[in-house]
Amino acid sequence: MAWLFSFILAHQGDAADPELLHWIKERLDQIFGTGPWAVVALMGLVIISIPAFVVIVYLLQAKRRSAAPQPNQGTQKYEKDSMEEFHHRVR
Amino acid sequence: MRADQKTKKPIYFGWYVCAATVFVAFVTTGARSSFGIFIIPLEEEFGWSRFMLSLAVGTGFLVNGLTQPFVGRLFDRFSGRTVIMAGLVVAGLATASLSLTFNYLYLFFVFGILLSVAMSGANITITMSLLSKWFHRKRSTVLGINVAGASLGGLVLVPFGMFLLQATSWRVTWLALGLMILLLALPMVHFFIRNDPADMGLQPDGDTPDSSHEDTSSRQRGPLEVEEWAHSFRSWPMWQISGAYTVCGITTGMISAHFVPYAIGQGLSGTLAATVFGVMMALNVLGGLGAGFLGDKLGRKNLLAGVYALRGLAFILLLVLPGATGIWIFAILAGFSWIASVPLTNSLTADVYGLRALATISGITFLCHQVGSFVSILAAGLLFDITGSYTLPFAIGGALLFPAALSAFSVQERTYSARYQTPLPTAAAGD
Repeated sequence: MAWLFSFILAHQGDAADPELLHWIKERLDQIFGTGPWAVVALMGLVIISIPAFVVIVYLLQAKRRSAAPQPNQGTQKYEKDSMEEFHHRVR
Repeated sequence: MRADQKTKKPIYFGWYVCAATVFVAFVTTGARSSFGIFIIPLEEEFGWSRFMLSLAVGTGFLVNGLTQPFVGRLFDRFSGRTVIMAGLVVAGLATASLSLTFNYLYLFFVFGILLSVAMSGANITITMSLLSKWFHRKRSTVLGINVAGASLGGLVLVPFGMFLLQATSWRVTWLALGLMILLLALPMVHFFIRNDPADMGLQPDGDTPDSSHEDTSSRQRGPLEVEEWAHSFRSWPMWQISGAYTVCGITTGMISAHFVPYAIGQGLSGTLAATVFGVMMALNVLGGLGAGFLGDKLGRKNLLAGVYALRGLAFILLLVLPGATGIWIFAILAGFSWIASVPLTNSLTADVYGLRALATISGITFLCHQVGSFVSILAAGLLFDITGSYTLPFAIGGALLFPAALSAFSVQERTYSARYQTPLPTAAAGD
């Protein structure tokens, strides 16, 4: 009955199969040839670098954002409201 | 002067929203997928059977599917950002608290119920609904990126968890995964996710009010656009999309649970079967990205039909071609089409039914997908026990994909999708 729920990285990210994971780990051990901490540090760095990269890009763009003309929120709101009113009238 | 202004134009904020949702998908999917690495340590420490642990996973799978429409409803009625943040807070705390596991009921409740409900608030169904508000012309591309982020999460975080577990213990690994959600994903959402571009005075896709595009979908509404999710069931596309997505769930569920045993049964070694499966998983990242990009160029429904037909062809070749040849060809074709259906289905749903009730409607189609997966995994196992082979269940799954392709193909996208509607009268559109 174990097969019943033993999803392997299914469509929505359900639990992975332990045998497959054991095999992946052996392959990675062969590739890296180092202790687990080295791999943890390397992968941890990769994981942390994702949000760090986004934040750095955002900060680097600060000058451009302040230089760019600010969108007119009042007009935009009016546009949105009038569009909704139009659709209600159409119905 | 004009050229100078163009070069200095800042990156559209929607891309930061996209990056944040991709990271959320990456971390949450990765953390959830990592349960497999804890199975053996938990068996060894507590003596729980594989079935008991699988039951917690399976319950979580169903709970996640069942709660999705309700969480989607919260998203539609209130603030999407709040729903995602609340989901992440609970998911992070629940994941971290799994490090305190001392009893099976504790594990069952925290992983099977609490974490699964929380994940409904932060999974790709929700983040895709949010992204659909930020991107209209590039919607399918962005949803493809989001889905690829979820797949990469499984591919990166699971090995990360394995090595951390080897270096420390299963308790520390659960804690680290929980902290990753709380300390990395949550701040990303806090800083970079906003509910709607209009809240920031922006237009979808980063358009300016005076910009003119061939596709002005941001100012258009389809004839079937709904305010309430229930109204979507009054029209054919909802049934066509959900029906096809159910078959998608049937076939992906079947592959995920039974492909490796099938390959081993065909004479492949366990190692080679796992390699083939790994290749299939890696290809689904490319499939998701490619389908998303092409969906914006070529339209959704034809491509979606093509994805289902390709997967159907993969099933036929799996059964017709002998041994490793058929298995490798299946892995390549199914790998490309595995997750490609997700961005296309969600963007088509958003195009046809609009954004007001999108998260609820997407939650319902997701539920159909999950039910299909669950039933097919059961049925395939049962048929294997009766017939002694996977030929019959795989043949049924493959055969169902062609009606699914027809169902997707017959969606009248040009009639119902907002992308193909004539622009609204200028004054009403606010131009």
